[in-house]
Amino acid sequence: MVNNLIEISDLYKIYPISEEISVHALQGVSLSIKRGEFVSIMGASGSGKSTFMNILGFLDTPTTGRYVLDGIDGSTLNYDEKAEIRNRKIGFVFQGFNLLSRTSAIENVELPLLYMGGITTREMQDKARKYLGMIGLAGREHHHPSELSGGEQQRVAIARALVNEPAIIFADEPTGNLDTKNTEDIMNLFTSLNQDLGITIILVTHEPEVAEYTKRKVIFRDGHIIEDSPVKKRKKAGMKKR
Amino acid sequence: MNFKNLFITALRALNRNKMRSALTSIGIIIGVSSVIMMIGIGNSARIAVREKIFTYGANAMSVYDSKKPLTLRDVENIDRLLPQVRYISPFVYKSYVLTKGGGQFIYSRLYGVNNDFFKIKSWPLTNGRYFTEREIAASEKVVIIGNSVRTELFGYTNPVGEVLNVDGLPFKIVGLLTEMGQALSGRDFDNVLIVPHTTAAMKIMGKRTFDEIYVSTYSETEIDETVEQLKEYFRRTHVILPGKMNDFKIKTSKEKLQMVKYISNTLSILLAGIASISLFVGGVGIMNIMLVSVSERTREIGIRMAIGAKRRDILTQFLIESVTLSGAGGIVGMLLGLGVYYLIIFFVDWPFIFSFFSIIVAFFFSCAVGIFFGYYPARKAADLKPIEALRYE
Repeated sequence: MVNNLIEISDLYKIYPISEEISVHALQGVSLSIKRGEFVSIMGASGSGKSTFMNILGFLDTPTTGRYVLDGIDGSTLNYDEKAEIRNRKIGFVFQGFNLLSRTSAIENVELPLLYMGGITTREMQDKARKYLGMIGLAGREHHHPSELSGGEQQRVAIARALVNEPAIIFADEPTGNLDTKNTEDIMNLFTSLNQDLGITIILVTHEPEVAEYTKRKVIFRDGHIIEDSPVKKRKKAGMKKR
Repeated sequence: MNFKNLFITALRALNRNKMRSALTSIGIIIGVSSVIMMIGIGNSARIAVREKIFTYGANAMSVYDSKKPLTLRDVENIDRLLPQVRYISPFVYKSYVLTKGGGQFIYSRLYGVNNDFFKIKSWPLTNGRYFTEREIAASEKVVIIGNSVRTELFGYTNPVGEVLNVDGLPFKIVGLLTEMGQALSGRDFDNVLIVPHTTAAMKIMGKRTFDEIYVSTYSETEIDETVEQLKEYFRRTHVILPGKMNDFKIKTSKEKLQMVKYISNTLSILLAGIASISLFVGGVGIMNIMLVSVSERTREIGIRMAIGAKRRDILTQFLIESVTLSGAGGIVGMLLGLGVYYLIIFFVDWPFIFSFFSIIVAFFFSCAVGIFFGYYPARKAADLKPIEALRYE
């Protein structure tokens, strides 16, 4: 048992289209990620990076291959056990924010705790408030997503990903819908989460500038990893106070 | 996820679509309220009719439609031969008798009976007295009148002692019957003149035979036996050979009660059946809306699954939504049904019967409708795959 948080070996994902034709989204991917890493996964669309992320996040299952997260072998888990892993060990941040509409920020952040069980309403609210404060949205707990800017919505989504104190955060194009200013803010936030809280973050992006914030860059093409290297000229988190 | 949180989540979801939730519940509201109303009205009608039948007389029966005349000898024989007979009265009637008094006139029904008749029918007097033995024996012209006769001819004064012209003959009023009200058929029970059977036979009809013989027993359990013995008696005296049909008929209060019970049960079942159809339609409405809701909220379901909702959590959440819709509809329908029932009962003056059982049944039934019709949409939601649901636009 090594210190690796994620252990992937020889992962294949094949989508059968018809009897003869099938799409090989992943063709023998192997990768290991240690605790506390900040990894960006890059690649053109169709390169298999999204499929890879879905498998990493227990949202999808590989056709063959081995995936171990925090010592848990994904192939041994049934549907509900995967849901439980997503709930306790993983935080998701999506491109489209994926907040519940017509639901206040604090209720959105509480959501993972709702499915966790063994936690009082009081504790849920306290935690949600704490993380909303941490990402700089204190005082806006009762705003609905439609009353928040894109950057603010993504912050709420990050607070939601943090509230269950996950081992790892998966962010799928988290800045894809944001302008430069907000992209910078969000990336600074991720950087400090990684640095200050030691949270492992894996981030899918196709923007090289975004990848510059991370410590390690993994590039996909046609279902293979074609490059896996540390980021040399890292952008440093801004000095802005939040 | 605990039940309380799921319940709160479901309520929030319903609350976001208040109008839709309310409209969806209307089907159940109408279904449950009509069930409650129908059962209530059925019960009340049964009681109301039952009370009317008891004015016909408890444990009573009568021999009628006899091809051979019924005579005083028959009355005496039955009284002697059947010890369980408590009261027995001859009965003659004329349905349309001109009655004058107090400067007015009215057409009334006239019964000729003895004093047992009042016991059989449980018809008490408000004023005056029953007939004396002497009056019956001497076919005296005395009359006990129903309340309608009094009000038509004498208003609200005490008529006892007044003279009444019946079919051209002067009668002395000796008693006033307590008001009985109308039959369901609309027939007025109170428009009646009662005279001694001897007087009716001798002075009015000019015959010595009777139209019917009324009998009542000490207890209800003796009715069947008595009917058999009466049949035996009349077959013997009318010399009917074995295998031949009776040339007379016997009716009992029990038969009437059973008939009414049968009719009201049939009606209740029919009405409850119609009401159940509306409950069913309401259920289909819930299923429809829940299906729409599930497909509208596919993305929400995907989000919930991604952050850790188990299948059971999603299933339960949507089931709670549908059961809340139908249960709330059930409660509102119950209150509405009781209200309308009470209003109807109030106007037709029937007894109000609060059936706790039917209310409990209706409520649980409406919840069951929610589970039954909510299960398929909830199952559909729970069976969604997280990534597909998340990609759904």
